[in-house]
Amino acid sequence: MISTLGGFVLFLALGVTLYAAAAAVLGARAGREDWLASSRNAVLAHFCLVTLAIFLLEYALITSDFSLRYVANTSTRGSLTRYKIAGLWGSLEGSILLWEWLQALFAALVVARYSDRGPSGCRHLLPYVQAVLQGISAFFLLLMTFGANPFAPLFPVPPDGRGLNPLLEVTDMLIHPLLLYLGYVGFSVPFAFAMAALVTGRVSEEWLTITRRWTVVAWLFLTGGIFYGGWWSYRTLGWGGYWAWDPVENASFMPWLTGTAFIHSVMIQERKRMLRVWNLVLITLTFSLVIFGTFLTRSGILGSVHAFADGPVGVMFLAFLSLVLFFSFGLVAYRSDALKGHGELDSIVSRESAFLLNNLVLVGICFTVFLGTIFPLLAEAIRGTKISVGTPYFNRVSVPLGLALLLLMGIGPLIAWGRASLNNLRRNFLKPSLAALAGGAILVALGVRQAEILAAFVFCLFVIGTIVFEFLVGTRTRAKTMGEGLLTAFATLLLKSRRRYGGLIVHLGVVVAIVGIAVSSVYKVEREQTLKPGESMQVGPYSVRFDGMAAGERPTHILVWANLMAFKDGKPLHTLTPGQRYYPNQQSPFASVDARYHWNEDLYVILSAFERDGSSATFKVLINPMISWIWIGGGVILLGVIVAVLPERRLALLAMRAKAQVA
Amino acid sequence: MGSQQAAWAGSPAGAPGRRHGRGPGFALVWALVWIGLVIPGVAPAASGSPNPDLEDQVREIASGLRCVVCQNLSVADSPSDLAKEMRNLVRELVRQGKSREEIQAYFVSRYGEFVLLSPPKRGFNLLVWGLPFLAILLGAWGVYLVARRWTEQREEAEPAVDPAYAERVRRELQERERPSGS
Repeated sequence: MISTLGGFVLFLALGVTLYAAAAAVLGARAGREDWLASSRNAVLAHFCLVTLAIFLLEYALITSDFSLRYVANTSTRGSLTRYKIAGLWGSLEGSILLWEWLQALFAALVVARYSDRGPSGCRHLLPYVQAVLQGISAFFLLLMTFGANPFAPLFPVPPDGRGLNPLLEVTDMLIHPLLLYLGYVGFSVPFAFAMAALVTGRVSEEWLTITRRWTVVAWLFLTGGIFYGGWWSYRTLGWGGYWAWDPVENASFMPWLTGTAFIHSVMIQERKRMLRVWNLVLITLTFSLVIFGTFLTRSGILGSVHAFADGPVGVMFLAFLSLVLFFSFGLVAYRSDALKGHGELDSIVSRESAFLLNNLVLVGICFTVFLGTIFPLLAEAIRGTKISVGTPYFNRVSVPLGLALLLLMGIGPLIAWGRASLNNLRRNFLKPSLAALAGGAILVALGVRQAEILAAFVFCLFVIGTIVFEFLVGTRTRAKTMGEGLLTAFATLLLKSRRRYGGLIVHLGVVVAIVGIAVSSVYKVEREQTLKPGESMQVGPYSVRFDGMAAGERPTHILVWANLMAFKDGKPLHTLTPGQRYYPNQQSPFASVDARYHWNEDLYVILSAFERDGSSATFKVLINPMISWIWIGGGVILLGVIVAVLPERRLALLAMRAKAQVA
Repeated sequence: MGSQQAAWAGSPAGAPGRRHGRGPGFALVWALVWIGLVIPGVAPAASGSPNPDLEDQVREIASGLRCVVCQNLSVADSPSDLAKEMRNLVRELVRQGKSREEIQAYFVSRYGEFVLLSPPKRGFNLLVWGLPFLAILLGAWGVYLVARRWTEQREEAEPAVDPAYAERVRRELQERERPSGS
């Protein structure tokens, strides 16, 4: 029943979305305002239909209606309601429905936002923007109708479902995937505007200005999703790390890299009208990489080249990807005359060059990640041998590039546009460089010898130096010239050029995260030892005493844990209870790690094995120095983006209120 | 007031004189604060454990081997039983005085090239190691060409603003020179 209804709703949505696209294009061609209005209504109707489909599937999930194969695959009767709800994105078919729903939501938001207001050029672009967004929706709906139907029936109806992978039954499951999808879908908006600009021939800076905020917000969601994923992995997956260069992670990292390059290079175009083609290429790449990443991780191709042919999903993704690439690059070629920029540069030593290099390095890292991710497939297809390309490879190749990027992060925001005079260079960079070199010298004196970590520290110091000086000088100048207090001056400074200072705060967050990444990976300490009850093991300044095993029943699993007492420098610090969870439907247990999290050092304990009679147990104990800085850096990035994108009016209102309170 | 504001808007970094006095001292304080924050993280690395050299060596080698039953984790990181056995095996081999290469070769003979997380740099695999650097070099060359073309366009563009105007200036200059020159 629900299967038929759901399938019908999706089919209807497909019809409506195709109509909306066609009406928008034809209406714009014929200049028929009524067709355009009808298309806009269809966009909203499409959103309502997909929402209905979501409700149907959620209803089936919550009521454990196992006559749907998807429900049987992703939930059990015993699951908590919130994980039944999260089952919607627990597997392929539901994820695509959720993606399509967000896609429909964004299309509706774009229509609502720009149909009667917005910049003047918007009216010309909007029909084609709608058409592109509906085209993307149509792809997902086709995918669900013919390849990955979330409403596919199951017969005979099983008494209970298989349930989510227990690793996914955590609160993070409610947040991380949503953030990523919002990021992915968010990038489709600037992409759609770019395509509309190409179709209409309005290829000036208009589409960039309109979509700037959309892009930054999409970037924020994607960044947030990646950081959150790392945090989740660190706390729950039980191997003590946050990033494994897994293809699924790489799939989110690649569009992040090109998206970051895009956010930077649009600044050159806005200011100097250069790089028009390049920016179109970057946004197209970003969107294509989102699709490619999903193809890679969802088609099963990574397990083996041969798994690819098993289902229609992979083929459909690949077909859509080729379509996107064919049309977007075709349009760029078609408009190549209009796109000819008049590039002018006073000097090679300038912010433009710094941005070009930034783009080069970001795209270079993206290429490396791409190559490393698909290389095992190439090797299998060409040589017939299975090989692995993993963490050591990616670290080896991307660390030098990352260092270059770090250095550019210090130079880019402060070097002058056009031509950087010697005076400009000295004024902005002399002191931060001195501070950085002094810091480097101190570290060498303290015994830090590894070249990479030294370079990372010195560059981080340099970047922070430039940012701090910039804020200090700005605040002080403002306080002096306007006669304001330092705090007011600082606040007004932030509000007056939010984009610039928000961006600098984002950079600060990135540096804080990089320090966390560098220190935690180089100075990580790890020991593994088997202990009898009462025995202790020594790890760095910590000692961990094993006080015996315990076990207990939990709602969904049986938990076996070890009681540990951690001491630091001989003083009792914390009790820790790492354990293993046994689920009825799973063959092997899942680690349940425990840790003492601290702002500059985590003590992280994994129970790796134990004797059934409790006579001994093996523990892996990790000291992860400064790993919290990664998450703190993520928070600072969030703050910076909020400063950069919050609407002017709202901030002015806040400032007025604050002033009123002070007065 | 107006001019001050204009100067302010034009270049936030262009603040007048007084900050030149503070430079090096401030830089040093800043560096010290930073180092102070970093030290607590770097310090524990130096402290010891029963057999630090052996354990670090084991970890280093194990982090280059793939846990063959896991999705994408190294033998060093994986919590699985097999990985634990493989770690013990690595530890045993290190104790026997085997080198990193010998241990790798041993695991390759058992599980195939698949077990190495970093593909050995020979034959077909050279592509995956070389291409990124080749791409970056080519890209850097491209960036340089683009930047140079832009600066050249600028230099050409400046004198050729308006040929008619330039011609008039030239003629007027000639006319002026004629009486004084002759």
